[in-house]
Amino acid sequence: MSLVEARDITLSARIGDISVEVLRHVSFTLEAGETIGLVGESGAGKSMIGRLFSQLLPPGFAVTAGELTFDGLNLIALSATKRRQLLGKRIAFVPQEPMTALNPVLSIGSQFNEHLKRLGVRGARARRDLAVKLLSEVHLPDAKSLLGKYPHQLSGGMCQRVLIALAFAGDPALVVADEPTTALDVMTQARIMALIAEMQKLHGTAMILITHDLRLAAHVCDKILVMYAGDVVERSGARALLADPRHPYTRSLKRANPTISGPRIRLPTLPDQMPGLVEFATLSGCRFSPRCPVNADDCLAGGPALLEVGPDHDVLCVPACASGGGDITEVAAPPAPSGTGADMPLVELKNVSRRFVTRGKWFADATTVDAVRDVSLTIRQGEFIGIVGESGSGKTTVARMIAGLDRPTAGQILVRGKDAGLQTAEARSERLETLQMIFQDPQSALNPRRMVESLLTQAMEADHRNHNAEERKQRAQYLLREIGLPGDSRRRYPSQLSGGQRQRVNIGRAICVAPKVLVADEIVSGLDVSVQAQILNLLLRLREELDTSLLLISHDLSVVRYICSRVFVMHEGYVVESGPTEQVFADPQHDYTRTLLAAVPPDDADAPWPPKFNEYGLLA
Amino acid sequence: MSALAWNIRRLPTPLRSGRVLIGGGIVLAIAVIAIFAPWLAPNDPQEQDLFGNLLPPAWDPLGDPKYPLGTDNLGRCILSQLFYGARVAMIVAIVASTGAMVIGVTLAHIAGYFGGWIDMLITRLVDLWMSFPPVVLSLILMLGLGVGVTNVILAIILVDWTRFCRVVRSDVLVVRQRDYIAAAHLLGFGHFRTLTREVLPSVMPLIITMMALEMGIAVVVEAILSFVGMSVESDVSAWGVMVADARQNMYQSVWGLILPILAITVTVLGFNLLGDGLRRTLDPRLRQERHTAS
Repeated sequence: MSLVEARDITLSARIGDISVEVLRHVSFTLEAGETIGLVGESGAGKSMIGRLFSQLLPPGFAVTAGELTFDGLNLIALSATKRRQLLGKRIAFVPQEPMTALNPVLSIGSQFNEHLKRLGVRGARARRDLAVKLLSEVHLPDAKSLLGKYPHQLSGGMCQRVLIALAFAGDPALVVADEPTTALDVMTQARIMALIAEMQKLHGTAMILITHDLRLAAHVCDKILVMYAGDVVERSGARALLADPRHPYTRSLKRANPTISGPRIRLPTLPDQMPGLVEFATLSGCRFSPRCPVNADDCLAGGPALLEVGPDHDVLCVPACASGGGDITEVAAPPAPSGTGADMPLVELKNVSRRFVTRGKWFADATTVDAVRDVSLTIRQGEFIGIVGESGSGKTTVARMIAGLDRPTAGQILVRGKDAGLQTAEARSERLETLQMIFQDPQSALNPRRMVESLLTQAMEADHRNHNAEERKQRAQYLLREIGLPGDSRRRYPSQLSGGQRQRVNIGRAICVAPKVLVADEIVSGLDVSVQAQILNLLLRLREELDTSLLLISHDLSVVRYICSRVFVMHEGYVVESGPTEQVFADPQHDYTRTLLAAVPPDDADAPWPPKFNEYGLLA
Repeated sequence: MSALAWNIRRLPTPLRSGRVLIGGGIVLAIAVIAIFAPWLAPNDPQEQDLFGNLLPPAWDPLGDPKYPLGTDNLGRCILSQLFYGARVAMIVAIVASTGAMVIGVTLAHIAGYFGGWIDMLITRLVDLWMSFPPVVLSLILMLGLGVGVTNVILAIILVDWTRFCRVVRSDVLVVRQRDYIAAAHLLGFGHFRTLTREVLPSVMPLIITMMALEMGIAVVVEAILSFVGMSVESDVSAWGVMVADARQNMYQSVWGLILPILAITVTVLGFNLLGDGLRRTLDPRLRQERHTAS
């Protein structure tokens, strides 16, 4: 008997007067010690499967068919008391947002104490010793002093380690990890995934890994279910799936993510986005068909059935697709935009440093942090430049200083040859027309009380240009076409847009004044891969049409490789390596660059990943 | 039923809340009564009928249909006094809360937006101000300013602006950190424009909610001060004065006491329901929860 068996599960939800199937015919088995990956974009229903184990379903959601057994117990029919005895002990969870999953007012020690008490460990002394042992297992240095610390004193990666230690405390048979590394940068992701694999081996634990990253899943899982709109569209062994995806959705998912080696392929994009729950009711037949590049007539008639296309490899698709029909042709991507040569640089950083000084309270000493140390770079007309590095490397501080939101403590920033600190009205307005910033989180960067039109043309509201309503309307319509949003979204609020659409508005607002340079801080990191591909292609199109330059801050090296011609690698405030992107990525000179490149899950399904790191966090 | 539900869904968001509808209805009704008191009142509220004093309401066998809710110890019509008393209550509620709001919100924006020493200065001033017990402070102010409705309003403004300032400042601090404020600067917005176009609209729901609650408080404070004879002149009808006058004869006729108290209670309840309902419908966080739940 398998450890976990899901048989034909259908999860239904009532939304108003209609009933929709949120999950359809989900079946899988998981053996002890095995890892299964649930892959798909937001709205695919993969997190709902995770929630089935805890039965923490949103109101109105109920399992209407099928059963989910764990160790022979049917979790859906189980009483709440019995289920509670399983959760945390035999089934443990690793959450998505490590910073918010820990109680901020309790010390790490007391959170361990509470959890271990619940697991039945007797004696405060024994619990303390066990907590120290568990924390050393997840390679947290100085576990003893860590017990007295609070979550806000730890980094995201450290919090996730603490949560993993908590999850494995009860020696569980199953761990459900819902996007455990999505909130973390690539380096931390590689370290955390290596840690989870190690803990799994140590405790003989099975794992369900929920992720949107197909390559990550292919390297750490034994088998993978690809989900789309509540359907399992493809089921296969992990490596085989990445090497030879069969379903058109899986194929586009794989292609939508740029690679860090091999030829640069133009990212194919699917139209629209994943349908919302309410739209499920209106979709007949294959739910992917409206976006499918094949979309044959028989796709609409009746639901497709899982077809076997290979050993342990099933596809939910009509035979035409399963045999590989309607494949997307690969087009070589144009070279990443490089500068147009000899003209004066638009932005120039000369030996810029930024030191943050936190004044000590009462008798405590002042602490200084050197966020940026001696950075020099130039941005020329039409050039796309990338800055990569893990969180805390100082790359966002560089972006904020260039945008004028922060001032360097040493060195000089020149915008069109003039000091960026000049505060005369003339200098300010010239900077404004030269340089705009696209912020990381559109949720925070778009005023929720402004409509799209007002947001896009916000720059026209500023003091020295008072445009009338008609001018603004026309500008907004032009910008909507530029960023690829329908004209009727003009009168919508940000809350009525999807994440990708919000990010488009965010970009549209920055290009309203037709700036020469865009500074973009992690603008695709929170997006689904297919939306990310759309945004990247949009940026490349804007370069062709408006001849803008771009400074892209990202921890995702594959994104930087796709659109940037030059790259700067930052580590602890220093630029440790810089040069043409292809050259740096193909032949990295600095140890840190090599480590960063190795941290990205490779495209080759058989390459070993995650890599081993030494005590300095570098490649072993 | 479904037709009704459909209609409710088409209303602007705040009006979909039962609290807002009931509270707003009460406030609106009292406002209408206050505005049209001269036409609605059956009698002159100050006209004495010494032969018909302490009459019970009209539905009592001993009552007089000329005085629907009876008369007080000087034979004045209680209903008419209640109607005219609503005028004093409403004027004080609107003017005092608006004044307190304007001062409090302006200082809150300056403090929360600019930060630094000016924030420190304003915050300390608020702390100092709030360390006076509000009742003592208002009584001292009344003694200093002298009696009269204008001075009641002034006293409420001077005591309660701190309430707005402290709460709104903390919201301004949160909004200040949002990227859209930084974005507005990069798009060429000056400080004044940023404050009025970006910050103020974001804290507006909070201000509206606090206004409604403050109006309820103002009604109570006015009633207390007129009860102790510090508010209106003796020939003006006010609910607090009515309560004070009815105390002497409360064992003969309880109506003169109960009815103005009821008027105060219903008015304050109306403002509080309105404020609470607005808080729930205008607060984006609570609204978000409702969306995901449905």
